[in-house]
Amino acid sequence: MKGEPQAPGEQASTARRAARLLRWYPAAWRARYGDEFTELLIAEFAERPRSRRRAADVARGGLLARLTRAGVCGNPPESAEQVRAGLATAACSAGAFLAIGIAMWAQLTIGWEWGPPRNAATTIGMTSMTAAVLLLAVLALMAVVPLGWSAACAVRDRRARHLMAPALLAVAGAAVLAVGSHHFENGWPGTGAHAWAQQGLVPGGVAAFSWAATLSISSYWAHPAALAAFPTAEIAWMAVSPVALIAGVAGAAGLVRRLDLSPWVLRFQARLAGSAAAVMAVFLAGAGCWVAAAGSRPGLVHAGAIDTVGLVVMTAALAVARRAVRGAARTAPGLPR
Amino acid sequence: MKTPRGAEPAGPRQAEALATFGRYAGPATLILSSLADGAKHGYALTKDVEAFSGVRLAPGTLYEALSRLESQGFIEALDSQDRRRPYRLTAMGATALRVHLDDQRRVADVGLTRLGRSWGT
Repeated sequence: MKGEPQAPGEQASTARRAARLLRWYPAAWRARYGDEFTELLIAEFAERPRSRRRAADVARGGLLARLTRAGVCGNPPESAEQVRAGLATAACSAGAFLAIGIAMWAQLTIGWEWGPPRNAATTIGMTSMTAAVLLLAVLALMAVVPLGWSAACAVRDRRARHLMAPALLAVAGAAVLAVGSHHFENGWPGTGAHAWAQQGLVPGGVAAFSWAATLSISSYWAHPAALAAFPTAEIAWMAVSPVALIAGVAGAAGLVRRLDLSPWVLRFQARLAGSAAAVMAVFLAGAGCWVAAAGSRPGLVHAGAIDTVGLVVMTAALAVARRAVRGAARTAPGLPR
Repeated sequence: MKTPRGAEPAGPRQAEALATFGRYAGPATLILSSLADGAKHGYALTKDVEAFSGVRLAPGTLYEALSRLESQGFIEALDSQDRRRPYRLTAMGATALRVHLDDQRRVADVGLTRLGRSWGT
């Protein structure tokens, strides 16, 4: 190794710099490669004390390692681990996609309550989105049943200690979201139409619940004066509900990562995730159809800048989900049967 | 890289393109070639690769390739010396490297022959 021997204080400073750079990498990677990578960095520091290119390269490598661990790219050493990572990433991406998508869809259902759309493209877009939401609900139910069964088996065999934290997070997030949405749906600006009534695309209760659950996704954040006119409890809910949603999705993803799922369940989940990604694409197409057709025209189903931004974020979330699902689906058939 | 006769770089961008052409040889090939004559740890690998190819593998790039090659079974980690861990080529890695280099040699032979015929280099 080149360089002069370092004073103890300098050695400590070098070790701290290496440790800081190492934080770019995920914990599992650090556990495996951390020591040797730190040694390499210290040797590099001795030869070239400062290098922005090296720092950028380490940051890039760390982010890549995190994406690999999340099942978005690369290949983790164990195939079941890759499927679980891909499924968990797909669940997180689907959570982000649906939070924005449901906010958009709930807004449209309110408009439809007051009067049907004026053009065919918006009608087709809204109908496709509604059909996609229904299909996604069915797929989610089909995904939850085997996961719940696996979790129950783990509890029965007393192997569930490591599942407690993500399970609590998922249940707490879902409970806060359900109770809060049920409470705040009373403020829904729809007409209260009943199931599949002439002027309602979906049952009023479903539309109101979806509206309340996604109240936080609003352009009012950009207009503090208008937001201040809202009841305090509603503003508090707008701040709390995204935290509950994130906790619920993170808990569910953590469960998928930690559950000891059988190869059959992994393959089944990978196929369901593939179907969900296809349905999400249908939803996105419907939303795009609506934004393009309704555009800036005034009316109850008009699209604003927030909807255009929403489309961009949903496209990105879908791209990540598809990539993760593809990785999981590619690996799943090779699992031992 | 030697500049062929009659192909002097027209500007700094072309000069840089010629100078960095070899950098795009995959890190995996460089690492496997370095390990072909014995086990090495990270820093020794970096220095050896730099000595025989002129390419300095940055730490993130090196370990990204090492972890991938290890998961693919092309290399294996030995017991660590202090905190440094040496890696060595596996039989599968040696086969993969030989096949890849044979392919590269065929491409190089064709390219050099055609360059010689058309450009006189």
